[in-house]
Amino acid sequence: MSVIQIQNLTKDYGQSRGIFNISFTIEKGETVGFLGPNGAGKTTTLRHLLGFIRPDHGTVQIQGLDCFEHAAAITRKVGYLPGEISLINELTALDFITFMARLKGIQDLRLAHELMEYFDLQADGKILRMSKGTKQKIGLVVAMMQDPEILILDEPTSGLDPLMQNRFIELIRKKKQEGTTILLSSHMFEEVERTCDRAIIIRSGRIAAMEEMQKLRQNRPKTYIIDFGCEQDAASFQKNHAKAIKEGRQVSLSISGSPQELIQELSGLFIEDLSVQPQSLEELFMHFYGEHDHE
Amino acid sequence: MNKTLFLKEWKTNWKLLILFMAVLTLYAGIIIMMFDPKLGESLNLMAESMPQLFAAFGMMHVGSTLVEFIANYLYGFLLIAFPVVLILLLGHRLLTRYIDSGSMAWLLSAGISRKKILMTQLFFFLFTILLLNGYLTGLILLLSEFFFPDELDLICYFRLAAGLLALHGFLAALCFFCVCCFADTRFADGAGAALIIASLLLQMLSQVGDQFEFLRYLTLLTLFDPQKLLSDPAGALWGPLILLFTAGGLSSMAVHLFVKKDLSL
Repeated sequence: MSVIQIQNLTKDYGQSRGIFNISFTIEKGETVGFLGPNGAGKTTTLRHLLGFIRPDHGTVQIQGLDCFEHAAAITRKVGYLPGEISLINELTALDFITFMARLKGIQDLRLAHELMEYFDLQADGKILRMSKGTKQKIGLVVAMMQDPEILILDEPTSGLDPLMQNRFIELIRKKKQEGTTILLSSHMFEEVERTCDRAIIIRSGRIAAMEEMQKLRQNRPKTYIIDFGCEQDAASFQKNHAKAIKEGRQVSLSISGSPQELIQELSGLFIEDLSVQPQSLEELFMHFYGEHDHE
Repeated sequence: MNKTLFLKEWKTNWKLLILFMAVLTLYAGIIIMMFDPKLGESLNLMAESMPQLFAAFGMMHVGSTLVEFIANYLYGFLLIAFPVVLILLLGHRLLTRYIDSGSMAWLLSAGISRKKILMTQLFFFLFTILLLNGYLTGLILLLSEFFFPDELDLICYFRLAAGLLALHGFLAALCFFCVCCFADTRFADGAGAALIIASLLLQMLSQVGDQFEFLRYLTLLTLFDPQKLLSDPAGALWGPLILLFTAGGLSSMAVHLFVKKDLSL
């Protein structure tokens, strides 16, 4: 039996807002990225999994239990991080973490303290005066402190600095090795690429694709920006590549798969600089589904 | 009920309760000290010169006994209007604020049922109202005994206090019910406040003169009638009983609505 099972889920808010006919399953121990631009329907789908809202149509189940009807039983097994971090401002971080631990029935706070240390969280100040990143760390500690068997994280690295983003990714990899089932939503491909086995891509409330990460990675185009030593080389390179865009001595070229051929081609030329530009999720959609479909 | 949530609410709301207790202590103290059976005659004269104003605030019948004086000057308006502000603030802090800010997501994701969360908040609400009423009852009793020993008719006074408790309980339940009724929290807070304030205004208007008396039938606040609780105890007790019964019904409906409600957190 799948740990998470969503079938034909529809929540229609009118004017084409909402989610429509969403279906996917997540198996035990899988780490799945839920990718989509802002407003695509990621959070609405996750809210169904936590039992915050009821589907108009379809079913949402975790471990075979209906998520709305058995929300309390389900949330005992799930560590959840909301997309909008709104904590209880009048408490200190430590008071909030302790309060949440007691609510969750956690007796031993060792893991919570380990997580606070791991994320360099100074927990003695009032939440009201804390930055977005610090609040995000508190949220992550609360979501993970009971060592849940399922983790549902909505935009988990939002507001975190690069160092903390890396620490988070390391932690997710560790949890994955321990067999935790993880669903994390993001609008950043790199985050999902570094942590997940599989990606579910949602766009305008509908599932656009479900792919193994390996396949997405292989097919994902990358833009190489090449600064040639002279304009003549740049011009002749552009002639060989119809999709290349030339600006002075700089040429941009998007290709999928291995850059082996490109490197070979460039090996005989004088290159001043070569950089790889990560592709945005929008560009990824255009590559996979074509501009017309994207619109 | 969830003990952890209850204690958290106490930690974040006790100062508000103390503030209201302090303000009401001041008012109750001043008004009780003002009691003077001889003053009753001059107050009656004043009331006769401005009958509509005095009537609007439920202060038309000054009375010659201490309990009549308290019923008129404290239970007629002050002990209704001030606690209404506390009730509206608590309704917001205990429920609307959690939903509006999204922090309800943390409570709901902690493995506690919605029913238990709402019951805890409701229980805390009623507990706070009970504490306030208990304090006020004790305070007025002590002040009365201190300044005017053996003047207070205790049985009549406890009837008044019980009636006021029923009214406050009803208003708290109405406030919670309104929050649970509306999906949009702006309407949720607004509807509760509008209903309660409109009820107060209707009651004030209905007391002004005969032409507006019919308005008393449009508000359940009429069911708490301090003068009637003194003069016709058997008949007047039905009012608070109906208020309590309605409070129970509204609370049950609030729980039912909250359990089924979509919460976009």
